[in-house]
Amino acid sequence: MDRKRILEEGLLEKYLLHELTVREQFAVEKALQEDAELQSRFEMLEADFERMAFENAIIPNTRVKESLKTRVESEHTKQSNNWPLFAAASIALIFLSTSFWLFTNWQDAQKNLDTIQNQTTDLQKRLNLLEEKTASTETQLNVINNVNTIPFLLKGNAKLPDAHAVAYVNHEDKLVMVNPKGLPELSDDQTYQMWSDVNGEMINMGLLSPNEELLALQYINNAESLNITIEPAGGSEHPTVENLISNVML
Amino acid sequence: MDDALLIKRVHDQDQKALYQLYDKYSGALFGVILRMCRNESLAEDLLQETFIKIWRNIGSYDETRGKFYTWAYRIAKNTTLNALRKNDLLIQTEDLSVYGTTSPTETTPDYTELNGALKKLEPHHQEALSLIYFKGYTHREAHTVMGVPLGTFKSYISQALKSLRKTYGNELMMFWLLTELISNG
Repeated sequence: MDRKRILEEGLLEKYLLHELTVREQFAVEKALQEDAELQSRFEMLEADFERMAFENAIIPNTRVKESLKTRVESEHTKQSNNWPLFAAASIALIFLSTSFWLFTNWQDAQKNLDTIQNQTTDLQKRLNLLEEKTASTETQLNVINNVNTIPFLLKGNAKLPDAHAVAYVNHEDKLVMVNPKGLPELSDDQTYQMWSDVNGEMINMGLLSPNEELLALQYINNAESLNITIEPAGGSEHPTVENLISNVML
Repeated sequence: MDDALLIKRVHDQDQKALYQLYDKYSGALFGVILRMCRNESLAEDLLQETFIKIWRNIGSYDETRGKFYTWAYRIAKNTTLNALRKNDLLIQTEDLSVYGTTSPTETTPDYTELNGALKKLEPHHQEALSLIYFKGYTHREAHTVMGVPLGTFKSYISQALKSLRKTYGNELMMFWLLTELISNG
């Protein structure tokens, strides 16, 4: 909007009197910012109107000022008297913080409890396993230490001269335990198998693994000797006699 | 004290600064409000309301867009017009029947009387300026009240302002000459 139009249409007066639309107001303000002479004219107009107003001033009663003071001070007091609100807000904040802290701690405690429960379960399992092992070992020791138990040493023959195993036989209780630790390791496709010789017939007693310390095998009535052969992995129904590595007479 | 400093203090919630602004401008604003509503009690309430708005909204005053008085005048004018619309009291005629309760023996202040340079203007210029400045009419309303076309009314305002400027300019010149004479002994 140019200066000429603003002056001709009396827009400066209207701007001062707040009569313009928002769009016109922006246009006049923009023109005032960009045109120093227009700005100077506006300032003069403002000064003239202000002077005219002062020349026509009417002094209000002093009660207006007193009333104004009362209102302003009461507003100020209201603002200052916001402490209960601040206190409530502070308490709420403390409550929230504490709740959050308690919640976090509760979560941590819950995690710790879960961990402890898992550990306890694990320990319980291990304890059960140990108890089972202990019971088994105790049973085995009872078998071995029983006065009716007879130990037999099975030494390796020419095929495996360094091999040896110990068999514990209890004819009273019909138990056989074997310690195969002294047998050399075999390839994965082979296994040791133990047999009882009853009237010339070899009867399967079970498989032996050198990794075991003591194995319970099947007791065979009327066995005359104990024999160990090397068989294909999984064992055989009949012994491979040429693979006999040890035997002992009972 | 400088207006800018007072305004800054009001902005900082300094009540004393507000009362100083009140002391300086309440008369001029009350002159406008009272001439608009012609009811002293209502005018007092509206003057108080105007300063409460100044107190609350001082943050929206931008000194680059005009003088403090111009801003305060707009607040006073809008507050008064709104109150008059609300109370259906927008009776902007010379009829003083609104003071019907006043005793005939009582002296009624003549709120329509104008003073200063405005009084020296030609009557139609005086009336035109008075309508838009002291009575809150827009240009479009005022030309109807005066019964002249809008263009004519605008030229009245333009001529009135030029006369006003001339008077104030001459007074300023006289003041300057007087100052010069006194200072030169």
